[in-house]
Amino acid sequence: MKKVYEPLKPGRKWFKELVAHVVFFVLGRAFQSAAKLDAGIRREVAEWEEGFTLAMCILPKGPSMLLKKVDGRIRYAGWAKEDADLIIRFKNIESAFLVLTPQMGSARAFAENRLSLVGDVARSMSFVRCLDRLLAYLYPAFICRPLVKRMPPVLRPIRRRLYIYTLGIPFGL
Amino acid sequence: MLPSYFEFYNPVKIVSGHKALDNLPYELSQMGVARPLIVTDKGVVGAGLIQIVQEAFGSSGMTIGAIYDDVPPDSSVDVVNAIADVYRANGCDGLVAVGGGSPIDTAKGVNIVVSHDKGELKDYMGADRLTGPLKPLVVVPTTAGTGSEVTLVAVIADTRKNVKMAFVSRHLLPDLALIDPRMTLTMPAKITAATGMDALSHAMEAYTCLQKNPLSDAHATAAISLISRYLPLAVEDRKNATARLALANASCMAGAAFSNSMVGMVHALGHATGAVCHIPHGVAMGIFLPHGLAYNLPERAEIIGELLLPLRGAEIYAATPPKSRPERLLESLSSLQKALESKAGLPMRLKDAGAREDQLGEIALKAINDGALMMNPREMDIEDAKAVLKNAF
Ligand SMILES: [Fe+2]
Repeated sequence: MKKVYEPLKPGRKWFKELVAHVVFFVLGRAFQSAAKLDAGIRREVAEWEEGFTLAMCILPKGPSMLLKKVDGRIRYAGWAKEDADLIIRFKNIESAFLVLTPQMGSARAFAENRLSLVGDVARSMSFVRCLDRLLAYLYPAFICRPLVKRMPPVLRPIRRRLYIYTLGIPFGL
Repeated sequence: MLPSYFEFYNPVKIVSGHKALDNLPYELSQMGVARPLIVTDKGVVGAGLIQIVQEAFGSSGMTIGAIYDDVPPDSSVDVVNAIADVYRANGCDGLVAVGGGSPIDTAKGVNIVVSHDKGELKDYMGADRLTGPLKPLVVVPTTAGTGSEVTLVAVIADTRKNVKMAFVSRHLLPDLALIDPRMTLTMPAKITAATGMDALSHAMEAYTCLQKNPLSDAHATAAISLISRYLPLAVEDRKNATARLALANASCMAGAAFSNSMVGMVHALGHATGAVCHIPHGVAMGIFLPHGLAYNLPERAEIIGELLLPLRGAEIYAATPPKSRPERLLESLSSLQKALESKAGLPMRLKDAGAREDQLGEIALKAINDGALMMNPREMDIEDAKAVLKNAF
């Protein structure tokens, strides 16, 4: 019998896509509250121009999140449907999973070419500094330390972590 | 040290050696180019270097589309557009950049414009905005430092908005780098020293920063050995063609290294100092290199110690116990600095290069937003940056 060769349609990694959706939502909401609480993030965001948009997404058409500066404050704006001023793109779902779960820090992810950046590099430096501070609120030190070059000095991490998890993420406060 | 993952890409053909330029027409014809546009600046013309390029075309049957020789020291959008018009008006089909960083970056910008039917330069700003191959581009470097002949970036100023636009894309890599020592023979001692220190910084930062990998390491260490041996020679005897060729090769290899394993804080500080006090890039590199390595020492002592081998040779390396190697390397660098200061007038401190103490805060702020800092092994916040700057002042 003759073997038949035909196109294959690879399946989807549902679980990892779902996790990425959830983490993007959590990160977006958490960033929004941390930007209110933390003076370091506030200072960084103050430098961004009004209306500035930042997207993180997974190539080619995976989960994503959009942050937008409105009235001087950072808002989580759901999925990144439109083009943004700065786009941080994961090249594949596995790399995104590693960074989002969080098993790998942003510096290492950039060093290993897992991310591709579209837009202004100076803004992305500022965003990465914010992200490092956010990690210090979201996770206890033993998880955070391997992800950053140096632990960011944040104030009242436990109280603020509680606020972010109970009010910030569920209610967008 | 083996990274768990790395990428390395350098598709640039390198043609290097005495009278290598004579192969330019042949190489162009291999790329399907019949009417190249030559992009250069007045300095290159004044030094008689364009003459050498033009003579290389003799008996080749090829037509030079035009020679645009008016690129300013800081490339701008208007210049790029003006050159693109010259390119189109003369029916050119490829680009030859002859010069240092500015003509090369300008030619890369022109290539973006002439390779696209619609849109303007700024539409392609940032990383990875170019999606297809551009027109053939040949680079003939006339300084031995920037390594732009093998890099995928171009920086072009928008003089009206007073901002610098950075373009990063694999499609910006030239097709061919032609390294001919005749092109660097006329460089004055101070510029030779400054550009040599730039190349040395590319190699040392590529070797010590977070993206280091076996292929970039190989390029970096080869470059460091050549620079340490030949930079003092070229500064002392400007007409030494062997030293010139060695430095041009080193600069090219260091360029390939840092194109694939990015630079770090030395460049972040250097870019910022250039923007705030207009200190030339190579001069800033000469000042900051030892300070940057010293700052990174707590994270990278062993790796920095390894650099003693290419810098000082096997005997000194073997005679120095591993623990003392980083320190010995920093001492060697500062003796190199001193030698270049006394023989070529290359400043060792920011104040001697024309910076003012009240500018340090502004430099620090710019430096921490520089993309080069991402791959620096040790975190540097604004206070750290100020402290390093104070030390270098
Ligand atoms: Fe450089």
